[in-house]
Amino acid sequence: MNESTPTPEPHSGQGMDYSEIADVQDVHAAVQREKREPRVGREPLSIWLIAVYGLAVFFGGAYLGRYSGNFSGEALDPYGGEMPTMKKVTGPQGAQQAAELSPHDRGKKIFAANCQTCHQANGLGVAGQYPPLAGSEFTTGGSQRPAMIVMKGLQGPVTVKGQKFGAAVMQPWDKTLTDQKIADVLTYERSEWGNNASPVTAEQIAALRKELANHPNSFTEPDILAVPAEEDLPGGAPAGGAPPKPGEAAKPGEPPKPKG
Amino acid sequence: MNPAGIPLKEPSVSAAAGDTEQLERALIDASTRVPVLIFYTSAVAWLILGTLLAGFVSFKLHTPDLLSDISFLTWGRVRPAHMNVMVYGWASMAGMGTAIWLMARLCRTVLRYPLLLVAGAGFWNLGVFLGVGGILLGDSTGYQWLEFPSYAAIILFVAYALVASWAVLMFRFRRGEQIYISQWYLLGAFLWFPWLYAAGQLMLFVVPVQGVLQAAVGWWYANNLLFLWFGAIGLGTAYYMIPKVIGRPVYSYHLAAIGFWSYALFSSWTGMQRLVDGPFPAWMVTASIAATILTLIPVATVGLNHHMTMQGYFPLMRYSPTLRFTVFGAMSYTVFSLVGVVISLRSVAGYVNFTEASIAYSHLGLYAFFTMVIFGSMYYIVPRLIGREWRYGSLIKLHFWASAYGIGLMTLMLLAGGFLQGASMENPSLAFSESVESVLPYLRGRSLAGILLTVSHFIFAYHFGLMLFGLGRKSTVPTFLNPVEAEGAEAHI
Amino acid sequence: MKGLAPLFLGIFGTFAFSWVGLTVIPNWQIGHLNPQSDEDGTDIYPMPQSGMVQWGARVYAANGCIYCHSEQVRAEYAGADIDRKWGDRRSAPRDYIFERPVLLGKMRMGQDLANIGARAPAEQESPSPGGGGNPAGSPSGAAQSPSPSAAQPKAQGAQSPGATAAPQQQPAASPATSPAASPTSPASKPAPIARAGTGIASPSPGVAAAAAGAASPGAPPLAGPPWPEQTAGLPPMYSAAWHHVHLYSPRSINFDSNMPSYRFLYQARRISDVHSSDALRLTGSDAPPEGWEIIPTYDAKCLVAYMMALNQSHPLKEVKSAGSASAVSPAASPSAAPGGQPPPK
Repeated sequence: MNESTPTPEPHSGQGMDYSEIADVQDVHAAVQREKREPRVGREPLSIWLIAVYGLAVFFGGAYLGRYSGNFSGEALDPYGGEMPTMKKVTGPQGAQQAAELSPHDRGKKIFAANCQTCHQANGLGVAGQYPPLAGSEFTTGGSQRPAMIVMKGLQGPVTVKGQKFGAAVMQPWDKTLTDQKIADVLTYERSEWGNNASPVTAEQIAALRKELANHPNSFTEPDILAVPAEEDLPGGAPAGGAPPKPGEAAKPGEPPKPKG
Repeated sequence: MNPAGIPLKEPSVSAAAGDTEQLERALIDASTRVPVLIFYTSAVAWLILGTLLAGFVSFKLHTPDLLSDISFLTWGRVRPAHMNVMVYGWASMAGMGTAIWLMARLCRTVLRYPLLLVAGAGFWNLGVFLGVGGILLGDSTGYQWLEFPSYAAIILFVAYALVASWAVLMFRFRRGEQIYISQWYLLGAFLWFPWLYAAGQLMLFVVPVQGVLQAAVGWWYANNLLFLWFGAIGLGTAYYMIPKVIGRPVYSYHLAAIGFWSYALFSSWTGMQRLVDGPFPAWMVTASIAATILTLIPVATVGLNHHMTMQGYFPLMRYSPTLRFTVFGAMSYTVFSLVGVVISLRSVAGYVNFTEASIAYSHLGLYAFFTMVIFGSMYYIVPRLIGREWRYGSLIKLHFWASAYGIGLMTLMLLAGGFLQGASMENPSLAFSESVESVLPYLRGRSLAGILLTVSHFIFAYHFGLMLFGLGRKSTVPTFLNPVEAEGAEAHI
Repeated sequence: MKGLAPLFLGIFGTFAFSWVGLTVIPNWQIGHLNPQSDEDGTDIYPMPQSGMVQWGARVYAANGCIYCHSEQVRAEYAGADIDRKWGDRRSAPRDYIFERPVLLGKMRMGQDLANIGARAPAEQESPSPGGGGNPAGSPSGAAQSPSPSAAQPKAQGAQSPGATAAPQQQPAASPATSPAASPTSPASKPAPIARAGTGIASPSPGVAAAAAGAASPGAPPLAGPPWPEQTAGLPPMYSAAWHHVHLYSPRSINFDSNMPSYRFLYQARRISDVHSSDALRLTGSDAPPEGWEIIPTYDAKCLVAYMMALNQSHPLKEVKSAGSASAVSPAASPSAAPGGQPPPK
């Protein structure tokens, strides 16, 4: 009954129902003709196979040793090359950049880190919430007004370029930013996005800081408007437009205005 | 070649070894019928869906305007849907079905607590359904191989917990003191999968790791799934089917043991080689590449073991569907591993990284190896559950050749295309679109291979459906692929 | 094997070994990185994504962009990425510390996108004449048309080739707005590009520049870097407007492209009295019929915001920038890098 007949016949009749195994004799044919369950032999390992193992371990190990960059978390380079240090010099501008960044560029970084969230990278602010700086009469007029705003903040309704703002409050920055930084960011704002107003120096801000030392936080619009629009901070750089961008010659400026 | 002329090294090992043994096996088979058939039926349904999705994926890649305006059919969603249906729908469920039957047989005990398995299958299907639906509707998580949104992933985990607890219970109540090779692999698979899945979900979604480590965890998970879940089930199944069908013992216990432990040790360290040259510490990538080289050890071992077991019995592949599919799968395991080693070496990886070659690798593993082995096991197991034989030997043959040629063509197309794509990408004087142009004809070739595979799967599904509805052949003789000529043939399959 | 215990221990041990080795140890090494900042604390890189950019990352992940696009730049010795100008330097772990999910990608059927935001035109910095924040009070110069005007539909949308000869004085219509116009994306850049109208005898770039520049009232025309070469009818490469057109109809930009179109991210809307500044400028068979316009959905805007924010060009201390390789040639820079660099390959 375990012989296999040639060429299986096509299925025809119904035959037994194998869904019940009540009858021990009705074990179906597939199980009957099966061979016994698998078992394992005991042949010994071949020496050639051990040689293959040795080769694999050797190559794998050599690979691991050679290309692991000392297993350091910082070695992204498998050849374990020298860790490159950040170079300030890149290309022809190397000499320039090895020196200080210009106030404009420093101010740009400060702006990006502190002001951009509200006033946006393009200086246009957000309608109804944050006033624009591009083309704003507060930013581009005399330097006194914007410096006061940056130093002590601003709250309450204010109209800029014909639009009303007032929902948001601007924080004071005198405690967070140094004089140099405030000067740089003002310089940047006053020369970016088409603005073309005089730069601001750290000394001017220092003087202003002394002046405002006892002033409570936050100006309001009337406070700012009380200052003449074209009033510059005393002691500033010659008025004469935006500071030179890197590479350009400095423009000759006007003689300083008399202190008014 | 006349199988009657093949000498057996031992006395006849027909089932006349004992009526009680026959009865025991029959009872075991009967007890596994419902759960295993539920898993198999679900798996075949997902296979068909996954194959249709695969058609979309393949065709849309070179014909992008095909149905492109429908949001749930956009390529970027259909591709992960296809992958997840195949991985979690077809492969996992078919693998579990086979593993359940094997565990029952090898533990030599009737399947207990079938409700655990039935509930597990139900939840698993639900999870896959919700997950795939979620992906198509735009909830994909963005992690490869883990795209299921969390509402599906948790259901999958619950489903799996049910299946895993069943496996542990079966193991607890096993009879006989020896633990056969397949049981090592299967126990490993049943334990590794939940740990893997839990680790992946935890480290990516619950307590997410920072930055690029997410990609590292993701690919650690994916490769380990491929090897420790699918590979383990595949190898365990091959270790059962091959000696079982030909009636000879496995060649060497020592080889099997070395093979198992080296497999577990080394293949679990692979995965990072897919991130070669990425923003990672170099040692991680190199460790994985070294581990991939070291997986040549289990590959050589297992390959040798199977080969020596089959020595002299290769002609039986002409007749037995199970043997043919299983040996094809086992040989593909070797090919898959070799391809894996080659494309992970840094010098080669520079060319094939970011190309279609990695798709070829995945499909070699999941289809040429795992799926073919599972097909073989299904051809063996289903008659024992239903009590009928497969109806048409010709359909099985067609299935085999369509699958074999399909995956072979696909692998060739993608590897060749991938190399060309990489070579173009590495040449900065060529515009980037050149690299895409260079691979396009191969993608069309892959679509052709996909048609072959689609035909093959529909044939299989139809054939399986016939069996399910009790329309199989009623016979004492199995369905052979080719007519067996002589009487006295030892091809008791 | 006889015992269950050794088997179980071995199964557990091998798994634990790989888990610790490949996930836990790297987590110790690179799992808790902080952004890099200079001494002042002003130059922090990278910054966490927020708002529309973060949502855009989700849209990117959900629509499977990672299956064709990668977001990692390989080192010079490893690939041609830097030669292809896909980045100044290779990507490092620190670039991704704020990304969730991290979208490194594994395939390149499309370009690498790690620095796609950096490849946006430099004009992205200039003020946007259009968009939600449009100051209503801008005086109308002859050369500008920031507020929607009735003549705009002729400059965009429906193409009547016969209208090319029409004596349209207004130059570019307002550009498709990038998400920067929405207040919630501080990191994204505006897209102020004034575009030459399709089919219209295009105004010279100078006029276009004037239009953009004149939008901020009172400011003189911008004398910035030269405008990019524009193919007639297309927004400048990698600007937000370009991204929208590319998503809507990739093959209108690159005929060989294999990218599927993402029209479901856009809506067609009947033009009411004002032409939306968001509207895509489409040509040929992609263009909507007369009286309709295509506008991006919120998902599309977020996706483009995300892409405009993809920028790894900031130098990192731990990674050599490609630019510094050129400093090795002594003629270029007087101050050669100290400590020597590996010779460029």
